[in-house]
Amino acid sequence: MDSAAIRLEDLVKTYPAARAVRGIDLEVRQGEFFGLLGPNGAGKTTTIAMLTGLTNPSSGRILIEGVSPGSDPMGVKSRLGFVPQEFAFYPTLSALDNLRFFGRLYGLRGAQLAQRVQAVLEIADLAERARQIVATFSNGMMRRLNVAIGLVHEPRILILDEPTAGVDAQSRNALYETLELLNREGVTVLYTTHHMEEAQRLCRRVAIMDRGRVLTVDTPTALVRAYGEGLVRVEFRAGVGKALQDRMAELETVQGLDGCDRHWYLKTREPEGAVRALMALEEIRELGISSLNIMEPNLESVFIHLTGRRLRDAAREERTALEEGNT
Amino acid sequence: MIHQILALTVKELKVLWRDREALVLLFAMPLFFILVMSWALQGVYEAGTRDRPVEILVAKAGDGKEVADVLEDLSGMEGLAWVGSVDGVPLTPERAEALIRGGRYDLALCLRAGLLGRSPAASGDASGPGPPAVLLADPAVNRRLLHSIQGSIQGVIQRRVLMARLAPLLQGLPDEALTPDPGLLETRMLGGFATGRRPTATEQHVPAYTIFGVFFIVLTLASGLLREKQEGTFRRILSAPLSRTALLTGKLVPYYLVNLVQIGLMFAVGWAVFHVRLGSIAALAVVSLALAASANGMGLLVAALGRTEAQVNGFSVLLAVTLSALGGMMVPSFVMPPGLQLLSRFTPHAWALDGYHDVMIRGLGVRDVLPEAGVLLGFAAVFFAFALWRFRFEPR
Repeated sequence: MDSAAIRLEDLVKTYPAARAVRGIDLEVRQGEFFGLLGPNGAGKTTTIAMLTGLTNPSSGRILIEGVSPGSDPMGVKSRLGFVPQEFAFYPTLSALDNLRFFGRLYGLRGAQLAQRVQAVLEIADLAERARQIVATFSNGMMRRLNVAIGLVHEPRILILDEPTAGVDAQSRNALYETLELLNREGVTVLYTTHHMEEAQRLCRRVAIMDRGRVLTVDTPTALVRAYGEGLVRVEFRAGVGKALQDRMAELETVQGLDGCDRHWYLKTREPEGAVRALMALEEIRELGISSLNIMEPNLESVFIHLTGRRLRDAAREERTALEEGNT
Repeated sequence: MIHQILALTVKELKVLWRDREALVLLFAMPLFFILVMSWALQGVYEAGTRDRPVEILVAKAGDGKEVADVLEDLSGMEGLAWVGSVDGVPLTPERAEALIRGGRYDLALCLRAGLLGRSPAASGDASGPGPPAVLLADPAVNRRLLHSIQGSIQGVIQRRVLMARLAPLLQGLPDEALTPDPGLLETRMLGGFATGRRPTATEQHVPAYTIFGVFFIVLTLASGLLREKQEGTFRRILSAPLSRTALLTGKLVPYYLVNLVQIGLMFAVGWAVFHVRLGSIAALAVVSLALAASANGMGLLVAALGRTEAQVNGFSVLLAVTLSALGGMMVPSFVMPPGLQLLSRFTPHAWALDGYHDVMIRGLGVRDVLPEAGVLLGFAAVFFAFALWRFRFEPR
């Protein structure tokens, strides 16, 4: 058997209007908790759609435990558990009905189905609410059911597409613990998110994606060590001219400068020194600063270093581009 | 694959069972139409029959044997009831006219003495006293019915006039020779039912509004599929190890079954409440199976073409209502202009109604409805082929 649970080779997906994935090479090892990080529109969901057989790649190769979905699509799908970002179940049915239905789609029947349904109800802490109509559940319970459905057929690989969207902190922690438990039991987890703190807590390795490409793959610690300069985020009262941009870039404590108009990032290994030097500039006093934040080295600063944008800014840009495309 | 299709079918039926709006649309609405339209329009379809005779006021201006003879002949006509007095007061021509203008009655026949002595030349004499028999009618009276009654009265009077004029020549003939022979003309309705039986309002409306209701499955099916796509369950199902054929089959089978239950229920109500004769159940089943296939095909087509809920709702209602009207569900197609009658042949509705009428009214069997069933299956094949060509499984 291939040592990789998931292997992607030069994977490309092109739509008539856009190239969503532009040649991805990636390996997720057996039993690994792997994070796919990037803003909305980075290509994460399209990559997952190809992995789960929802759409075919335009080119490149996918291997799931050494098997190509093209040669054995049903076999590959049976190994995967998929938890989409949205609540993908039937709210007018009970949790039990939902789990039984999806279990039957994966070929479970009789005692085996009953045993697996009971097991995942307990994992999701929904056993006492099993016969309750899902529409009456709280948001956190629905999120847990969404995950439970992905587990009902006992998959070897679990793929979760931003599973904590809209979840409160308590439910999020419960979900993290469930996933960590499953991972300890040998389930390979591929987890996509644009929350860096999730990736830092859960993932053994992460790949950072942007605009359809994988920018880098490593452990969170190694990535922060390699790229994790501190960042000083500055918002000025007015747009910054070329002369002031040059002056900021030339500061001794500043290793790089990104941004535009009123919003700028100063890359630095000495954030406090960089702030002092910045405030000492006469032009700055004239221009005025609206806000100033010092960011410690973390995955967020790694992402900014690699892409020149914050995750949320990137997500907003993608949304704007999509909206403009739609209009 | 069978187990997966079964799982999808059971799930879909459970979801549908909890969708009260869909159930009302699919079952209550056509049932309501059948009941209301059948009762409301019963008079229109059965007017002029022995059970529901047309009431005609009769006003005499003067007595005489000839008027009495004409009235005797008229009273023997089936489907017409002659009313000589209203509220205990014998009618005069003026009062009969007032009753029609007041909307209480639709028709009145005014007879004058001297009816039979009038010469043929008098009909062209504008200065004369006018015709001895006048039929007064509310302008809203059905023209076909009016012409039919007018012809019958004209025939009776004409016969009496001829007999009066030819009296010298007819003397000595036995009475039987001068009596009308009802056996000269017999009307035979083709088909297996008793002769002389006419389609009733329910025989028109039960199949028509059943077909109307069956095509509302288009809305339920298409909006259900769109909702699944929008809510992510479709993606989740697609990520499971089942073929796309199994997925679509599992999605369509429950709606097909719902259609058959719908048809069964509507005909059962027609039979139980209105005593509609159903004819050959096997032949009804053949038409129904083909009808449900074409309705499901249209549903999948709308699901394939509709991108938003508004589009799906708009397409579905537009198709359900306009094709029903065009296909003769609301207004029988024989009253439509020739162009529209031709156009109605391009709707599955018209073929389904023909099939049901063949069985219920004409008393035909399975073999006789195969052409209609074949055309309905042809519609289904075209709808499915086009839908599968346009259907998008992949997320956008």
